[in-house]
Amino acid sequence: MAHPSQLGFQDAASPVMEELLHFHDHTLMIVFLISTLVLYIIVAMVTTKLTNKFILDSQEIEIIWTLLPALILILIALPSLRILYLMDEINDPHLTIKAMGHQWYWSYEYTDYEDLGFDSYMIPTQDLTPGQFRLLETDHRMVIPVESPVRVLVSADDVLHSWAVPSLGIKMDAVPGRLNQTAFITSRPGVFYGQCSEICGANHSFMPIVVEAVPLEHFENWSSLMLEDA
Amino acid sequence: MSLPKPVMRGLLAKRLRFHLPIAFTLAITAAIAFKFTVTEPRKKAYADFYKQYDAVKEFNAMREAGIFESVRPSGE
Repeated sequence: MAHPSQLGFQDAASPVMEELLHFHDHTLMIVFLISTLVLYIIVAMVTTKLTNKFILDSQEIEIIWTLLPALILILIALPSLRILYLMDEINDPHLTIKAMGHQWYWSYEYTDYEDLGFDSYMIPTQDLTPGQFRLLETDHRMVIPVESPVRVLVSADDVLHSWAVPSLGIKMDAVPGRLNQTAFITSRPGVFYGQCSEICGANHSFMPIVVEAVPLEHFENWSSLMLEDA
Repeated sequence: MSLPKPVMRGLLAKRLRFHLPIAFTLAITAAIAFKFTVTEPRKKAYADFYKQYDAVKEFNAMREAGIFESVRPSGE
């Protein structure tokens, strides 16, 4: 989850998010390069009264300030496209979960083998126990096996929502009548938080997402228990 | 005796010839500094983290701390 005064991304918990982090660093480096150059030129230009009133054209500088930005854009585009195709690789998921957005909660359906489904409501602030996170905890978490490719089919029951978990590098719009697919692998066990990312009404800020990644045997025990309770 | 004629042309060009190389140098220095103070340490931090990462040990520590809901601490 995010911590107070955080500026950067949350720690990556999936390989795709790690790639996105490194890509962001690469692009931000280019941004600092261009910003430093432009800022220096601005300061140099405003601190002089000298102007060239007779300049008409200059092929040389026009070539430079066309080719250099084109080169920079290529340097940004190549890693970007690499990650885009990486995200779309055939990953043969071990598990498919349907995440449905409602006003104002998420529901998860695990229907690969049995019919397991449950709702996931935010825990109200007054009901939190010490150590729990305000506006982020839910009564039922989406539990998945760690280090296994998981496919999530995202849709909505009423209005637009968006299923997002920043530390896994996922955000997928939940559109009524449409099935959107995303996939991920968690690199490590843990609990990963997200929040609805498409305005959906009064309680848009109060329908969080919690993904719990545990070893397979514990996931199987959990799903058996959930089926018994259902 | 007369003064030498002052330079009256090419003043802006002279200024640009002085400042533009500095601007480009500073820009590239900023990029290199960012690369070696942020980008490379972050890549190394992730590589080092996963090199010695014991998922089972970490899972058990998290489990005993009680952060999971699907798996309770072994005492419970």
